[in-house]
Amino acid sequence: MRNFKIHFQYIKSALREGRPPRFVPCRQLEGDRDMNSTKGQDGKWMVILAVAVVASAVVSFTVGYMLAPGDEPETQEYEYAKAVIVTDEWGDVISITMEDDYNRTVVLDGFAERIVSVAPTPTEILFAVGAGDQVVGVDDYSDFPEEAQSLPKVGSWTLNVESIVGLEPDLVVCSDLVPRQQLDLIANQSIPYFIFATRTMEDVYKDVRLAGLMTGHIQEAEAVAASLEARVKAVTDLTLAAGVAKPGVYIEYYPLWTYGPGSFGDNMIALAGAVNIAHDAGNEYPELTSEFIIASDPDVIIYTVGVMTTTNATEISSREGWDQITAVAEGQIYSIDDNLMSRYGPRVVDGLEKLAALIHPELFE
Amino acid sequence: MIVLLGILLVGSIFLAVMVGSLGPIGPGDPVKLSFHDAMDALMGGSSYAWVFWDVRIPRVLMAALVGAALACAGTAMQAIFRNSMADPFVIGVSSGAALGAATAGVIGAGVIMGVYASPMFAFGSALAAVTIVYKLGSVKGKVYVDSLLLSGVAVAAFLGALVSLLIYIARQQYHQLLFWLLGSLALASTDKVLILMAPVLVGAFVVILYGRDLDALLMGEETAHNLGASPEVLKKVVLAVAALMTAAAVAFSGVIGFVGLIVPHITRLVVGSNHRLLVPAATLSGAIFLIWADTLARSIVAPTELPVGIITALCGGPFFLYLLRRNSSERASS
Repeated sequence: MRNFKIHFQYIKSALREGRPPRFVPCRQLEGDRDMNSTKGQDGKWMVILAVAVVASAVVSFTVGYMLAPGDEPETQEYEYAKAVIVTDEWGDVISITMEDDYNRTVVLDGFAERIVSVAPTPTEILFAVGAGDQVVGVDDYSDFPEEAQSLPKVGSWTLNVESIVGLEPDLVVCSDLVPRQQLDLIANQSIPYFIFATRTMEDVYKDVRLAGLMTGHIQEAEAVAASLEARVKAVTDLTLAAGVAKPGVYIEYYPLWTYGPGSFGDNMIALAGAVNIAHDAGNEYPELTSEFIIASDPDVIIYTVGVMTTTNATEISSREGWDQITAVAEGQIYSIDDNLMSRYGPRVVDGLEKLAALIHPELFE
Repeated sequence: MIVLLGILLVGSIFLAVMVGSLGPIGPGDPVKLSFHDAMDALMGGSSYAWVFWDVRIPRVLMAALVGAALACAGTAMQAIFRNSMADPFVIGVSSGAALGAATAGVIGAGVIMGVYASPMFAFGSALAAVTIVYKLGSVKGKVYVDSLLLSGVAVAAFLGALVSLLIYIARQQYHQLLFWLLGSLALASTDKVLILMAPVLVGAFVVILYGRDLDALLMGEETAHNLGASPEVLKKVVLAVAALMTAAAVAFSGVIGFVGLIVPHITRLVVGSNHRLLVPAATLSGAIFLIWADTLARSIVAPTELPVGIITALCGGPFFLYLLRRNSSERASS
């Protein structure tokens, strides 16, 4: 199909330039030869000339035809994603090669037009770069933006392979929390999958640009990423300025569970100009002991509000021994929307702005 | 009876492969195919054909094999232990397999061995766990049922703690492990079915062959001995075969509870405890039961699916209690 299209395009481009497609004169010349040969005499010359013209025409057409698609492909490299986009001479994308966050190479033969997103973060990023129309299915938890809610659902922890295949996607995108065995099954059906493993704010910019790259919304994605970078910079210019005190912060997403080193929450706390009391904990999402939290004496306590929430400021202040904590004594207990901390698309920048304003009210009016 | 169950099994397989998100039986999401379209699509290279041949058929066949393996192993265990609470998991098979799968996840064996890493690890460690339990439960080559049961429980608890520890260390694989620990047939594929087929079919055949000896054993070891059965050999062979079947099933589908406990009981209540009839009947019933439990699991909350263990427990539990109750009231009135 692609070959046929290129052939057709070649003829069309030849016509556009005002030269006739070469096989047309070939046939005319063959006709001339037949007529001339009946004349005899100077027919010999004409035959040689005709044969030479025919031969050169055939050779040049064949060579031109064979070389045309491969002759002038343009490659455009995008360093941030180790991505290479190859376009042919008519500007059509031949292939997109990208590396995902697990260093897997994902190759597409054009911009993805039917994407199934099986995690909320990629769904939000795809919609943010203006590729919402190219998303044809989402997981059960993708509820933002509103348009995503009405898309076909394909399961969550256990995916519905049938539904995904039935949507005839050309790409599946997921986060690193999705069990991969089922995606491997679909990948055998030449439906590639791309993993977003977002851990820092830098990853968010990269993921936004990647989403633009795979869907052909490169400029829009660049604009979104640049505006996110500018907004984060506006915050960090204040929070990370010299002389700004760094209060100790404890954020709980479930009683005693918090964000540890290497997690996105830890990075957000740092950007908001504070010190995460669990920054030296053993893993990304540690469960702390009450004793450790009291001893760390956070200046601010923030709890997330979402589906897992079981607590409120009153319950936190009434925990045994917590009245000695500075945050409790001074009433510095706040809440934040869980989605702004855990959906690593553009919304985490809203989260960062909120977080910074809660921790450093003096810097933000 | 056996012929009837055989026909039921074949019928169940035919019906169950028709059920799915894309139809012809099912919600039809995102597209619903009619019966006629579905039949046409099967012969072509369409994505429906792939769904049918490479997703549904392996899944239904794997449900049948896993169900058969668990029910057959359960029947054998209950006879060997002469204990109605015995199931394929009492001798440490499931925790051993769980530990293997968790280890494979933590050390990243998938990088080298691909999708077979956790099944293979699970299989190996399940057999290792059974061997340890067996060694602990036997004295001078003689197997004592009660010490075997007790050491099985203790080893299972110990291995269970190790699994929890590994899950704690490997947060990243948490969801993958959970998926496996809850039991699911969603990862069925043709080659897994082929691998599973050998231990299950051979295992079931061996247990059926020992049917008469199992009957003898139920009358007591001395009686069995007097009847010409050798209880020690019998126990060793049947235990090994049952462990092999269970480990194979658990390795590919995770821990699916209740099938191995309840199906043998229900079958026994219907056909009686003649093992030459009971073993094949329970094996076939296990296959039929798990096919339908899995079909329900994948269609009841489509497009998502329930862990199949929830269905087996929800369906099996009450039905089992009903049969038990009816049976005891019959006994009381006679």
